[in-house]
Order: sequence, then structure tokens, then C-alpha cells
Amino acid sequence: MARIELRGIRKQWGAVVAVEDMNLVIEDGEFVAILGPSGCGKSTTLFMLAGIYMPTAGDLLFDGARVNEVEAKDRNVGIVFQSYALYPHMNVKRNIMFPLKFKGVPREEAERLALEAARMVRVEELLERMPAQLSGGQQQRVALARALVKKPQLLLLDEPLSNLDAALRLSMRSEIKRLQRETGITTVLVTHDQIEATTMADRIVVMRTGRIEQIGTAEDLYRRPDSLFVASFIGAPPINLVEGEAADGRLRVGELTLELRGDVAGAVVLGLRPESIALDGAGIPARVVDVEPMGRETLLLLDTPMGPLRVLQGGASVPYREGDQLGLTFAPQDSILFDRETERRLADVHAAPPKA
Amino acid sequence: MAVQTLEAPAGAERWQMLAVRARRRRRLTDSLLIGFLVTVSVPIILPYFWMLTISVSAKTGGVESVVLWRASGVLVPAVVAFGLLRLFVEGRRLLWGGLMIAAIALVALLLLVGQDLHAQNYRFLWNPDIVADIRGRATAEAQFPSVWVAFRNSLALAVTQTALVLTVSTLAGYYLSRFQFPGRSGFLQGLLVLHAFPAMTLIIPIFLLMYWSGLLDTLTGVILVIATLELPFAIFIMKGFFDAVPWDIEMSAMTDGASRRQAFLQVVLPQVKVGMLAVGVFAFIKGWEEYVFVRTLLFEKQNWVMSLYIFWVSEDIMGVDYGIVAAVAVFYILPSLLLYIFCQKYLVQMTLGGIKG
Amino acid sequence: MAVRQRVNALIFLGPASLLLFFFFIAPVVVDLFVAFTDMGRTLKVTEFTTENFERMLTRDRRLSQTLAITFVYVLSTLAVFNVTFGLILALVTTQVPDRIGGFFRAVWLLPRMSPSVIYALLWAWVIDPNERGLLNQILMNTVGVGPIDLMNDRPMLLIVLANGFIGASMGMIIFTSAIRAIPQHLFYAAAADGAGRLAIVWHITLPAIRWPLSFITVYQTLSLLVSFEYIWLITDGGPFYDTTVYALYVYKRAFENGQYAYGAALALVLVAIGIALALLMWRFFDMKRLLQQPRIEVH
Repeated sequence: MARIELRGIRKQWGAVVAVEDMNLVIEDGEFVAILGPSGCGKSTTLFMLAGIYMPTAGDLLFDGARVNEVEAKDRNVGIVFQSYALYPHMNVKRNIMFPLKFKGVPREEAERLALEAARMVRVEELLERMPAQLSGGQQQRVALARALVKKPQLLLLDEPLSNLDAALRLSMRSEIKRLQRETGITTVLVTHDQIEATTMADRIVVMRTGRIEQIGTAEDLYRRPDSLFVASFIGAPPINLVEGEAADGRLRVGELTLELRGDVAGAVVLGLRPESIALDGAGIPARVVDVEPMGRETLLLLDTPMGPLRVLQGGASVPYREGDQLGLTFAPQDSILFDRETERRLADVHAAPPKA
Repeated sequence: MAVQTLEAPAGAERWQMLAVRARRRRRLTDSLLIGFLVTVSVPIILPYFWMLTISVSAKTGGVESVVLWRASGVLVPAVVAFGLLRLFVEGRRLLWGGLMIAAIALVALLLLVGQDLHAQNYRFLWNPDIVADIRGRATAEAQFPSVWVAFRNSLALAVTQTALVLTVSTLAGYYLSRFQFPGRSGFLQGLLVLHAFPAMTLIIPIFLLMYWSGLLDTLTGVILVIATLELPFAIFIMKGFFDAVPWDIEMSAMTDGASRRQAFLQVVLPQVKVGMLAVGVFAFIKGWEEYVFVRTLLFEKQNWVMSLYIFWVSEDIMGVDYGIVAAVAVFYILPSLLLYIFCQKYLVQMTLGGIKG
Repeated sequence: MAVRQRVNALIFLGPASLLLFFFFIAPVVVDLFVAFTDMGRTLKVTEFTTENFERMLTRDRRLSQTLAITFVYVLSTLAVFNVTFGLILALVTTQVPDRIGGFFRAVWLLPRMSPSVIYALLWAWVIDPNERGLLNQILMNTVGVGPIDLMNDRPMLLIVLANGFIGASMGMIIFTSAIRAIPQHLFYAAAADGAGRLAIVWHITLPAIRWPLSFITVYQTLSLLVSFEYIWLITDGGPFYDTTVYALYVYKRAFENGQYAYGAALALVLVAIGIALALLMWRFFDMKRLLQQPRIEVH
């Protein structure tokens, strides 16, 4: 097991900078997810942890020791790729035993360990099959077994669920989480799917164009996003963002004036989660533009003096129809304000609906 | 294995050791591999360089070997220096450094071998009866045509052949890729056999067919033969490129009112330009360098192409004048060399296309 | 509709069919025909006979020597250069940074792209037996031996080298593209699994290029068997008959001795081998992709 530390890591190819000034500590036994849109540098970071890419600058520490130049084969990391990367010419058993070959594990011992690993991910019946004869989910499990069989000090998962269908994804999610708990291996998951990150990881690192935007728990990211980017990236349906001007303790948004709690002036952006807006007869007047049933919930599109807003309502059906007039309100602590210039969150500043 | 013997030292120390070992091993293997490549490639580059040296320095006498080694003595360190420079700097500074090295090398070259260089061997370009030049007009007139005659014939052969291969293989490739017709799979499988079948084995009956049809010793005959032997390969390449064109655009062209011939000309053909370029360049180089078939099918001196010309020139005057043979050789290789350098990407694709089918 | 279909076939496939028939199919038939005649220098046929085959099987003393030379030549060129060295070049050039690897591959392709007469001339200048020859210059200045005369003393070595330098590049290109086609993730996975550079070559790269390896072996056996261009130009089969391989022997019998019928009979063997190996090579093609059905039915 290992404690991983990245200090000022940068990776560039020629003039292209993939990762810039990355600082991150991953505690021993922790499950961390790196979340971001494609091309944000999350996979590059993962490959640097694996020893496949070498950082251009900065220090990468395993248990306090610098490992920048230690080769992948010496790092004792397990890795599961999006494509699973099973060796096509080896059967499942030989695939799982492959890492042990290089540790000098005697054959019987290796077979025993491979069987153990196969049991752990429930593929012990498939040992003699070739990768091409396996379904996506089975390949996924074999790849996991291969990564775990050498008892790695660090487990790396590169978009491991993105090639699976929805139902399988759900079960693999809890399966991977269970395995991580059982083995206690420090794990890093790379994904672009916020649900995957929030459901599986202890902490989430949000990246954008090579830099870390925010590190925190799922709740931190949801309630206290550091930036507009994180706010809009986390949460589905996405957060409502409306531009406004703050002055003299008031916030002017569209044709509406809200009250401000906290000290701020100038151009800001107000963020309101669709699920934190409450509907009743009174409050800010709104007109229903569209009703989108989403199964257990219903999304309403409203036209308000603040501009168009998305509002999420529980229940498969709601008593509203297109054209209905209604009022909305929200709790001040649910509102999030950002500086429009820097796009950073304004801490301890909230907006409140105007008093009736 | 190594990892276990290193298990003893704990934590940081162990990582340190692994890092040092990895760095050392990486440098060692990289330099070993590049060293190996340099070593095995010298025997290829050196003869070409030797030919160039002979062509620009040979007089009668042994001066050119001195030129070769002096020039190598300048160029090898210059190339090594540039290689080292590239490891440490980049961008604008690399450019300046490179220019500086080039300038130093140039000055050194001028100082060391400058006085030995001359263009005399290239005099055939403006005084094309080279054998007459060496042996006196009387004996030569009957023996060798002008170098420009051979050049013109080679160019005619290569260009016509290229046009023929390109047209026929594009038409056939399109039809085989996009049309359903009875016997299609049979035709394709037969073509596959022809494609792998070595045409060289048919040289005797081809000679006889040419003789019977009166095409022997004509450029037309040679062009038809060489083009045909290129065809199976070229058709497969073109079919491969047509296969890769999405059906949607052709279907949409037809719903827009085009006939299949119009769709082919106006919509599909522009999509396979790269393929046509590759086939064309390849065919040109083949036509330009062809030897066995032209040697067998052409006799008359007025029909000589460059390969025959240089073959007979070297047979005849190699012992007398190295320099001029080397100069003609440089002149002859230049077009294919330039095409190769500029179209390398496509040519490699062609070599691969051959087996991809 | 049917007319349009026929016209289309004529336009698109007609020229190719015509050319292929006259210069590919017809020659095979002609060869078969001439092999059973007595055609000589005059190119006239006076009688039909099996004499050529009797001569081939019983009386041609030179033939067995030629076959032995061909065997040695093909086997050693193939084993040393076309397969082994081609593979080594592919492996090494894909291990170093791509630009450097590409440069060295371009260097090795250079002889293949050069006109064959020039390539032969280069060799003539390299092996020139007097002290002006490039090889002798090097040997005399570094090792202090020589001058040597490769052409007369080691003619077999000479033709194997000359053909091998060209042959290796084909394997190199095919193997390189096969190595490139291996998903990058497999290499990453193997590295993370603890495999070093050599182990990765052994466990990942080599298993993935088994097919290209057998393809190159078959394909190059065939090309070496039938091609004689470089031998013809460099040694002309000599000294004496020491480097006269079968294909060159066939050519010389026909065009130098004027024994066209006998040459045709000898060539028949090559044609048969050629067809057999070409059929064998079917196995390397993706037939399903080749024969993929067109999706527009209109003509």
C-alpha cells in the first residue's frame, strides 16, 4: 500500500502542455477519482502514476520517495484500461498469471494466486477461455483480476466502465468498490462520468485543461464548487447559471432584484441547482414553458424575470402544464455566487429571494 | 527476478536504486539501439555518397578516395554534432545551431576538398554525345545515342505507363468495389492470384507475343507490358481506397439526381485522390527504373531508355572514365530519389496496401 | 437496364480485362504451347515434341548445379536478410523515437526505390577488386588486409548481400505496420505488469506478428525464386556458372542461347511454383472484406 504525492507535476509533449502544476496527495488506502471532460489531462496523469509516461517537471512520490524515473515494471501498480488490454493470444488464466511471471513466483503458487484472483472477481469458470470469447463485462473482470493478482500497492482504473452497458455498469460499480474496501489498495479512478466518480470515490479531483479545478468530496463539489466550471460540470440536470450585478447589498438579475447576504459588488454569476428551487403559489413569478418527464422526476422549464430556469420536481407527474403561472423560491444557503471575472466562487455570499 | 533481490533495502532507498537503474538502462538501450541502426545503415548510405563523390571529383587518377574520406571526416562529425544539439536544445536555438554547424561544415568542406571538386563529369548535359567526347567522334557516332534521347524515351515510357495504369486501375477498382455483377467474386479471386503471381516468369512468352504482334522493339509494346504487370497490384490498391469511401455520399449523390457514372466522376473520385497519387507515383518510379523488360524487348539505340543507356555506357567506358558514368548515374537516379523523398508517406502505404488487399 | 449494366462493365472493367488477358493469361498459354515445340533462334515452330522435358529431366547437367545454387541462395537470403534482419530492423526502429526510426527505415528502403542498374553500379564500385573499390579502401585503411576480390572469390556471398540489402526492407515495412497495429494499451499493460523491454517483445510483439511472418516467408521465397535482375546485373551469373540461379538460367537459355522452347519448358516450373504459392497466399487475405457486397444495386 502506498501514499502517493504529486508535487508541481507538469507533462508536455513538444509545445503541448497536457498537465500543468499538479499538486495532489492520495492517502494510503484511499479511493480517489480524477474527473474531467476528455482531453483534460486525467489519463495523462494516470499514465504518469503508472510509470508509462514520465513527468516533464515536478516530483512524483510514493511513500515519500521520488519515483519519477522508476519504470512501470518496477512500480508494482495494477492498471485496468478502458479497452481492458487483455493479451489476445493468451487464455484467461495465462492473462491473469502474466504479472506473476516477472515476480519470480513459482508456477504452482502463481496458479493458486491466479485462481484466487479469478474467484475474487468471479471468473473462475472462464479460466481456459480466450479473451475474444468473453463478453465485455467478463473481459472487464479478467482485467481486474490481472491488475489485482500481484497485490499492487496502487490500483489504477482508466475509464473502466465506459464500454459496459448501463445495467452492467451499475453492478461493476459496486463490485469495484467492494474489492477496493476488501483489499484496502490505494486506488485512482479516471472517469468523465460524474456519477461514477461520486458513487465510488472517497475524494474527487476535478481537472480542466491540464489543471486541477477542485479537490473534495462529492458533497463539497456539489454544495461548494470552487469555480463555475465545477459547478456546471457536477450535477444533472445542470445547475442554472444567471448573470447579475451586485451593488449596495442587492443583486440585480434580469428584471429582478434579490437581496445579498455577504459583502460583494460588481459582476457576478448566480448558481441555483434545479433541485433546490421550490415551487408554490407565492414568490418569484414564473411561467411554465415545457414539462419533461424523466421517470421518477420531472424537469420543468420556467420563464422567470431572472431568465429561463430549470427546476426539478419529484414524482413521475406534476400538476403543472405548459402556460401555467406559478411562483418559485429558494433557500439562501442553496444559492451559489461566483465572480464573473475570475469564475471563482464567492465564499460566504448568498442571495435571497426578495421579500414579498 | 531482479525485483526480489532488491527487496532488501527499504522504502526510499529502494525506489532510489530502481530509478537510477531505470535511467541507466534506458540510456544504455537507447544508445545501443541507435548505434546499431547507424552501424547497419552506413553500408547503404556510403555507396550512394561514394557515387556522388566520384561524379563531382573524378579525373583520371586516384584523387576521389581522398575526397570521400575528407568529406566524411567533415560530414560525420557535423551530423553527430547536430544530433547531440537536438538532444539539448529546441526551437529557434536549434535552427541557429544547425545553421552554424552547416556553415562550419561547408567552410571545412571547401577548405579540405574544394579544389578537387569540378563539374566536368556533368558535361554530358550540354555535350550529350559522351562517348564521342571520350573516344573521338568517328567511332562513337554509330554506337551511342544522345543522353537526351534516352532521357526523353524514359520520360515518355514512365509518363504514359503511369497514365495508363492510373486510368485502367481506377476504373476497374471502382467497378470491383462498388458494382454487383455476375462473376464478381471469381474475378476478384483470380485477380488476387495474378497479384501474387510473379510476372517475371512470363518473360519468354511475352517476348514471343510481342514478336508475333509486331510490337517488339517499340516503346508502345514495352509500355503495354509494364503497365499490365503493374495492374493487379494497382487495382487492389484502388479498390481498397474505394472501399473506404462511405456509401452514404454516393447514395446521397444519386438521390440528388446523379447517375452512377456522374456520382463516380463528381463525388467518389475526389475522395480517392490520395490513392491515385500513391498509385501514380509508384507506377512512375517503376517505369523510370525498369530494366529487365526493356532490356529484353528493346534493341534499337533510338529506343533506349535511361537504364539501358547507363548500362551500356558503364559496360563500354567504365574502365576509361569512372567519373562520367557516376555523373550519368546521379542524373538518372535524381528523379526517382526526389519523388521518393517527397512522396515517401504514400509509397510506404503502397507497399503495405499490397498485402492488405 | 441490362444494356446499361453491360456498357458500364465495358467502360470500367473492359480495359483492365483486355490488358490482363493479353499480357497475363495469354502468355501462360503461349508458354505451355511453346514448351512442347522445338522453337529455336529463328522463332519458327517445325514440330511438336516432349524433347524439352526429357532434356530437363535427364540430360541437362548444368541444371542440377543451378538448382543447388538456387537453393543455397534463396535459403540464405531469406533466412538471414528478408525475414530475420527485416524483423530486427522493424523491432529496433519501432523501439527508438519515431522520427529516428522513420529515418532509418527510409534509408533501408532507398535501395528498393533506386533503379536496379544504379544499384548494381553501386555494388560494382564497392567491390571493385583494385584499391579504388570502396570496400578495399576501408579494409586496407582500417584492418590492413586486402585488396580482396569479392566477385571472384565469394560470388555467392556477394549476391546474397546484394539481394538481402533490398529484401530486408520489405519485411521491415510489413513487420513495422504489424507492430504499429498492436493496440498501445497492450504495451502499457505489459509494462505495468512488470515486463521489461525484451519481455514485451517476446510476449506481446512477436505473438502478434505471427501471420505477417509467415506471409513474408512465403512471399519472399517466391520473389527470390523468380527474380534474377540484380544477379544478372552484378555478377551476370558468373564467375563461370557459380551464381546462375534457376530463373537466370531460364532467361539465358532462351535469350542468350536462343533455345526459346527449352526456356519455356524450364519457365513452366517457375509458373507452376508461382501459381501454387500465389494460391497459398490467399490464406493471408481477408476474403470477407475483399468480397464485401456492394450496397447500391442500380447500375
